[in-house]
Amino acid sequence: MALRGLTKVYGSLRAADGIDLDIPAGSFYGVVGPNGAGKTTTLSMATGLLRPDAGTVHICGIDLWQRPDAAKPLLGVLPDGLRTFDRLTGAELISYAGRLRGMPAETIAPRRDDLVAALDLDSAAGTLVMDYSAGMAKKIALACALVHAPRVLVLDEPFEAVDPMSATAIRRILIDFVGGGGTVVMSSHVMALVERLCTHVAVVGAGHVLAAGEIDEVRAGSELEDRFVELVGNEREHRDLTWLRPS
Amino acid sequence: MRHLLAREWWRMLVLIAASIWLVTLIPAVVWAQRSLYGAAVDTRMAALAALGSVCAVGWALVPVLVAGGDDTLDPRRFTVFGVNASRIMPGLVVASLITLPAIFFGFMWLTLASSWFAEGALVGTFALVGALVQTLSLVALAKVCASWTARVFANRRARAFGFAVSFLALIVFSYLAWRALHRGLDVLFETDFNVLIDALAPTPVVSALTAPAAAANGDWALAWLGLALSIAWTVALLVAWRATVAQALVTPIYRSSGLRSRPDAVVTAGKGVPFLSAGDRSGPAGAVYARISRAWRGDPRYISGLAAVILLPALFVAVVVPALDLDPRWALAAPFVLAISIGWGRHNDVALDSSALWMDVVAGVRGGAVMRGRFAGVMMWSLPLVAVASAVTAGWAGHWELAPAIIGASCGALGASLGISAITSVLLPYRTPAPGENPFGAEVGSVGAGLVGQLASSAATFVLLPFVIVPAILAVVVDSRWGILATVGGLGLGAAIYVYGLHVAGRMYNARAGKLLAAVR
Repeated sequence: MALRGLTKVYGSLRAADGIDLDIPAGSFYGVVGPNGAGKTTTLSMATGLLRPDAGTVHICGIDLWQRPDAAKPLLGVLPDGLRTFDRLTGAELISYAGRLRGMPAETIAPRRDDLVAALDLDSAAGTLVMDYSAGMAKKIALACALVHAPRVLVLDEPFEAVDPMSATAIRRILIDFVGGGGTVVMSSHVMALVERLCTHVAVVGAGHVLAAGEIDEVRAGSELEDRFVELVGNEREHRDLTWLRPS
Repeated sequence: MRHLLAREWWRMLVLIAASIWLVTLIPAVVWAQRSLYGAAVDTRMAALAALGSVCAVGWALVPVLVAGGDDTLDPRRFTVFGVNASRIMPGLVVASLITLPAIFFGFMWLTLASSWFAEGALVGTFALVGALVQTLSLVALAKVCASWTARVFANRRARAFGFAVSFLALIVFSYLAWRALHRGLDVLFETDFNVLIDALAPTPVVSALTAPAAAANGDWALAWLGLALSIAWTVALLVAWRATVAQALVTPIYRSSGLRSRPDAVVTAGKGVPFLSAGDRSGPAGAVYARISRAWRGDPRYISGLAAVILLPALFVAVVVPALDLDPRWALAAPFVLAISIGWGRHNDVALDSSALWMDVVAGVRGGAVMRGRFAGVMMWSLPLVAVASAVTAGWAGHWELAPAIIGASCGALGASLGISAITSVLLPYRTPAPGENPFGAEVGSVGAGLVGQLASSAATFVLLPFVIVPAILAVVVDSRWGILATVGGLGLGAAIYVYGLHVAGRMYNARAGKLLAAVR
């Protein structure tokens, strides 16, 4: 995946300001940044959910915005903050995602069952998604992103609200996916998670890429969190909330 | 308010437009006051009772139908702050009284009540107090109606009960209206109207406005009783409002339908659907059809839309035609009203389905399939409904010979209006209540955009539909031989506009995929 000059402007706010990123095939790529840095905006533009004001997105060499019919089948997307149609059961939602991708029923059914089992959703597969917890909804959305076996997975905060057991299962699935030659692009606020999973990382701040590359390269010998703070420049005045102390 | 206006500039335009409109009404209010000033006590009382009753109905219904103008006063917004109802009620009451409608109605009641000064300063002052009470009672009435409606639609069982009660009320109202109108408009206005006003005047809904009549006649005890009744009514409404606020503060929105396990009905859905091609049935369009069919069966936003489109033509045939003693052929307009209402009602279809949009968009270029699947879900119930309604109406009107023409043209009108709506739903989507929210509400910030979308679809419908409908009108009015053209032309043109509309909408959907989500989420 290659992003070139991706720009999105909302009034006076430049949510993404000329984002350039090269995400190698077979990499586990983390995108980190403070709140409001432009991570979700960038990933939305990179997946066809938000039209950029300027810039290009190439998936395996195909221009996403020029040839979406060829590029989108290569992508699996888990957005953050978007409501999912919840009047289908979990299993039906996976089937729906598969059928939207043009898959035949005989291919969808076994993959649906595999995904439901792998994500520990067996007992909830026949329940409406509207009755799911936040973590379960996140897992079923991930299953929808995986059902057509994409080449590139773009996941916005995939571990948010997910319990530790499920997180382990998701990690295993993603690591296997990358091991098999797939590419994962993942945004997260959890530095330890990014450090543990990702081979590459990009630090985004105020709509710009502040640093990008292999994780050791970006860390430059220190902890990722320290490097992150250093890049973002977030050493604000420390104000002591003395009134917050119970006694 | 300041932040809201800064975020959505067009709200300021709506606010200015509403203010200008209300200002233009002021001369009418002043004229009414001067007329009432010179009128007899009974006339003045009757006029105020009639106006007060109509306004009370308006204040009860309008917030239910067009809620969502501003959600900053929604008590659910305060649930996380741990405040109790008593603490926020004064703020909510004051905030509700400084809205444009409340200010205007307060001005109107005070102005009209000042006409009682014709009976002396004491009566006039008494009437001004009543005007203030009336304003407060209307505001409280609106809040109670809006919040109770939201509660009724909060869960499935209550929703079903609410629909049943509404339907029953509608039948009773239709019967009463039919009885009243059947006797003729002259009788209605000369006798029934006066009887109705006499009955309404002492009720607490308007007694704050009519009580000064008793004072003017020297019966101060009756006057104070009228005002006391109105105050008690207002207090009761405030208590009911407070109860709903208290309930909203501690009750999260309940959306669950209970844990039920269902088999996967989507994986092979779409087989045998007549409005999809063989390729579509097994492809994405079949999946969209399966999903949207679920929404038509269980989503109150869709069900309420369905109920609303049936209501108008049913009332027209069952009440208006017999009551006004119209030629039975007028009833033949009903299936057209039904068809056009269904079609026009889908003009914001894509936004209503906003929660499914992102999956459709990331899946690739599927606009055509999405639109075909969505509208097949509408056609599955609407085409048989319109066809049967056409046949039944033709039979009811005693013109079976016109049935083919009416069926063909009304089904054509359905197809044409759906084709137009398919395009406007992609071109001019506006935010709607999300799944699980009050289906009669409007999403915050949607009122202005909604007007544009509705106007555009109305204009397109107005331009195109005559081609489908005029031959049928000629068949009814001039010569039944026009029926052949109405049948063939209606069906052909309707089908063509439907197919072309979906095609164009699909292409626009693909082109606008990156913008649609931002427009409706």
